[in-house]
Amino acid sequence: MDDMTAFTWMIVLPLLASPAIYLLGRLFKEDGARIARWAAVAALLITWVPFAVAASDLNEHGIQTYQHGSIMLRLDDLSLLLAALVLGLGTLVTVYSGPYMAAESDQEKYFALLVAMIGVMIGLGCAGDLFNLWVWFEGMAIASFFLVAFYREQAASLEAGIKYMVQSAVGSALVLMGIALVLAQTGTLDLVEIRNAARDSDMLLAAGALFTIGFGVKVAMVPMHTWLPDAHSQAPSGISAMLSGVVIEAGLVALLRSLGALTGVSDSWGTLLMIFGAFNMLLGNLMALRQTQVKRLLAYSSLSHMGYMLLGLGIALYAKETAGAQGSLFHMLNHGMMKGLAFLAAGGLLYTLHVSLGDHSPLTVSDLDGAAQKYPITALGLSLAVLGLGGLPPLAGFMSKWQIFVAGFETKETLIELLVLFAALNSVLSLAYYAPLVNALYRRKPSKAVQKGQPMPVLMTVPMVILSVAIVAVGVWPNLLDWLSGPAGDALLATFGF
Amino acid sequence: MNLDILLVGVLAIFGIGLYGLLITRNLIKVVVALQILVKAALLALVAAGEASNQLNLSQSIAMTVIVADTVVAVIGLALAVQVKRVLGTFDTTLLSKLRG
Amino acid sequence: MTDILIILAIGLPWLGALAVWLVGNKRPEQQHLLAVIFAVAAGLAALLLIPSYSDAAELKIEVGSVFGDFTFVPDGLGVFLAAVATVVGSLAVIFSVDYMHGDAELGRYYALVLLFIGSMVGLVLTGSMLLLFIFWEMTALCSYALISFYNDDPKAVEGGIKALVITSLGGVGMMIGALIIYAYVGSYEISDFLADPEALPSGVLGVVAFGFLAAAAAKSAQVPFHTWLPGAMEAPSPISALIHAATMVNAGVYLLVRFYPAFEDVEGWTTAVILVGLLSGLLSALMALVAQDLKRALAYSTVSQLGYMVYAVGTGAIFASQFHLLSHAVFKALLFLSAGAVIHSVGTRDMRQMGGLGKQMPFMRNVFIVGALALAGLPILNGFWSKELVLEGGLEEGPVWAYAGMLIGAGITALYSFRMVWLVFFGEPRGTTHAHDAGQYMKLATGILAVGTFTTWLLAGVFGELLEDSLPYHHLEVETGTKIIEDVITAPATLVALGVVALGLLGWWFRKPLSGIAEALSPVGDAAANDFGFEAVNRQIVHWTKEAATALRATQTGYLNWNVVGIIGGLIAVLVILVLGA
Repeated sequence: MDDMTAFTWMIVLPLLASPAIYLLGRLFKEDGARIARWAAVAALLITWVPFAVAASDLNEHGIQTYQHGSIMLRLDDLSLLLAALVLGLGTLVTVYSGPYMAAESDQEKYFALLVAMIGVMIGLGCAGDLFNLWVWFEGMAIASFFLVAFYREQAASLEAGIKYMVQSAVGSALVLMGIALVLAQTGTLDLVEIRNAARDSDMLLAAGALFTIGFGVKVAMVPMHTWLPDAHSQAPSGISAMLSGVVIEAGLVALLRSLGALTGVSDSWGTLLMIFGAFNMLLGNLMALRQTQVKRLLAYSSLSHMGYMLLGLGIALYAKETAGAQGSLFHMLNHGMMKGLAFLAAGGLLYTLHVSLGDHSPLTVSDLDGAAQKYPITALGLSLAVLGLGGLPPLAGFMSKWQIFVAGFETKETLIELLVLFAALNSVLSLAYYAPLVNALYRRKPSKAVQKGQPMPVLMTVPMVILSVAIVAVGVWPNLLDWLSGPAGDALLATFGF
Repeated sequence: MNLDILLVGVLAIFGIGLYGLLITRNLIKVVVALQILVKAALLALVAAGEASNQLNLSQSIAMTVIVADTVVAVIGLALAVQVKRVLGTFDTTLLSKLRG
Repeated sequence: MTDILIILAIGLPWLGALAVWLVGNKRPEQQHLLAVIFAVAAGLAALLLIPSYSDAAELKIEVGSVFGDFTFVPDGLGVFLAAVATVVGSLAVIFSVDYMHGDAELGRYYALVLLFIGSMVGLVLTGSMLLLFIFWEMTALCSYALISFYNDDPKAVEGGIKALVITSLGGVGMMIGALIIYAYVGSYEISDFLADPEALPSGVLGVVAFGFLAAAAAKSAQVPFHTWLPGAMEAPSPISALIHAATMVNAGVYLLVRFYPAFEDVEGWTTAVILVGLLSGLLSALMALVAQDLKRALAYSTVSQLGYMVYAVGTGAIFASQFHLLSHAVFKALLFLSAGAVIHSVGTRDMRQMGGLGKQMPFMRNVFIVGALALAGLPILNGFWSKELVLEGGLEEGPVWAYAGMLIGAGITALYSFRMVWLVFFGEPRGTTHAHDAGQYMKLATGILAVGTFTTWLLAGVFGELLEDSLPYHHLEVETGTKIIEDVITAPATLVALGVVALGLLGWWFRKPLSGIAEALSPVGDAAANDFGFEAVNRQIVHWTKEAATALRATQTGYLNWNVVGIIGGLIAVLVILVLGA
């Protein structure tokens, strides 16, 4: 058993804090909710300390490992990127959720589960063997089931929760089958050892397919995506932001780790990811085109953005070049910020226009009419987020898409170039549903919902402002996050042994 | 023990689970079908341990899976009960308001 | 010093955008003032930049990784277009003080206008293809936001989104081109590429060349991508003047000129450019002739004039093309702004409801006539000199059929110019009779532009020298100013062109006796009024996309069993792919 180091504390702190938050919330009858909320914020803020130390350890001493019995943790730059994304968006969402959830019962459960989910996802990025990966993955799923179905008196929320749970459970059973195949064939579950032992075999090929589909359910790859629009639109908005900005990305990291172990089994992983990427982009965009509910529209847009990430990763694996992976991971960070902001801002309007009035009907595009006059910051944030998602400069989304596209063209392969062209055309198509949101926000004539809307709480505005500034800053200065995405791309290719 | 027989057993159980998920409309039965799926995976894990002389490892994995799986089953049942309370039914076809 | 001026020319408008936004809509007077100050200051910075032109990167910001260096090269072409953008931009801002007086949300208006001006300056000054594309898209973004400035009007929203989507669609062509160049050359520097276009295999270079042509056509509203420009007329008039006449639409022509040395030897490229220019020049002139909406007529006229510039690029007459760009920027801004003043005054854009306004708005009538005569190409106005140069270049270097087409276009141009003037300012009043005269700021801005319309052609020599000195790959040999003027005057082509223009004028004068001919040509007119079917194609594509999207929604059934089918189907598909691929 190794000593605890900074990176293990980074995982353990939120996991320890979670039950404490729940207990605090229960023990103090009067102010329980408020105490739980601030305890959650404090726990996450403290977690930034081991994060910073772990980042510098990683920078100075290379990959960090920790062994405890059969638990094997390994911190590389990919883990660090996921940790940064999870912790960053998680902290903001926790702050945001304070006022958003203020009127709900069982808030202590909400915050405890949210913090637990954050810890579990950081752990997922560090999993060093296949089974641990599954355990973290399952832990993330369990925490999120509750959070998705948090409005347990709402039929729509329950429906979304059921679909999410059943499809996730099927996916995780498939992953288990894959693990069994790998174990039978190689006799080990350590990711690096599997990679060294794995040879061409039908069993391992089947295992790869099972991982692709099993994790792919959580990644929302088409056609396993059907849970996503429901779950992402029905969850409380902070959770929507987490689901779209982090959870599906964590699933993607899990998928990549498992495929990395099977790199020697097939040359087709890259091609496979590119095919899924193309379908995700097209379906996500076309489905989003006709949506009238804002959060559902954003959920479908997550499908298409996952497509861009898959495309970049596929290019990287196909060409064995790091550029595509760096672009994809950069896009993962940017998407986390942009989609996080989009959901927080849309959620802010949902809250002020509907939820705070006790109304659980969805936020429609026509509800947005004229919101900019009453909620200027929220409207600007939502506009920046969706225009960034549409890939317009000088916003973050453009830069990462560009990096992915550059990687595609550097292969100089006609088919991949055509795929990039397809991706670019998809970006243009996406403007057709993002732009009307902006137009609606800046109308003069306010909708009925806006007319009777409540004021926006300050604590919900602050995370939006932070994310807006970040999106513009990264868009103007694209290398701002290169310290994360650059090494992470290299680390990812290293896990594949390229 | 012959591994081929186990493999056939795994596939059969897994197939039953999937078939159940494809045809059943009852939420409780959905949870049962999920359980069957995971049981197939458990059998596969143990068989894999046997095949690779890693029985200890595979048994400890199996134990963990059982725990995690039980949690999922409990959540599934809890959601089902809640659905019954709110909507008064276990029928999944009535849970299809979110579409398009 | 040069680098500071570059930063000022781009940064001042952006800073102004921030300032206007921060001041807030509760203090409109200060917003007007700040906007004018920052716009004029940017104009001064851009003018000061002209003497310090050079062909080297005077400002370089290292970014690294796949983003290269952000470089700025103030060469002749760049500084000149930057000056056009900022000067016309600041005049549009000054005009806006009257035009937007009392309007709500001035902060958003001015912030976007200033953001646009800065982006346009960046676009023409940058030496990096990535940055070029970034600014390219930023101008599209500003254009979209300003077209749909009146978001409550569904037509404005539709027009804005249409402009955004179509120009972005064309932008994809440029993006693909830039990506290919980066993949082969390993740098975003335009000069690196121009120095050695042979680094790309010829087929690949062809893709780049035609990709850029598509991007330029979409941005400059050339056939078949011109359909967004009429819709863009929903914008406030100063925006139409600034973006859809004087600056952004020029970006397409600028792109073609900038990369001309690399593409001129690509097979079929120059012919394609000529064809695009010819079709745009002719078809949209016809559409301008039958348009009833004043701004729409001006918009089609812009497409047509940009067609002349594109045509000039195709025939290799780089200098003529850019010289016409300068003239057009000035007189078209004048036309749009004075038209804006009229529309502001009478409250309609329909020319059938105008007429006889000259008496009530004498100043606007006079400056509009100056602009219209320049558009028609009457001597000593700037449009005359540049159009003659374009046509002369076309006759010498280009195919005769194209020249003939452009000549006919010049006649139609004269015809529709007089038609506009007549319908708006003369004859019997058909609509409102009490139009109030334009405000002081409107008169100031249009007055300056009218003076410019008389004088900018005098800059021909200086401008030619600028281009010759700082565009090493274009191998330009521009004559001195007096020689240019002498050439134009003595060339037989000039007389021919003038004759055609006179025919156009006479055509309008004797429109009653000639009505038989007009009737015979009415099918052409009908087709022109229907945008020659291009708009229908657009609509059909949008319709199909929507249908596909609607049909696809059926796949999200909401049934749990069906969702599990997706998982199993996915598994089978992946297994098949892996087995086949492995």
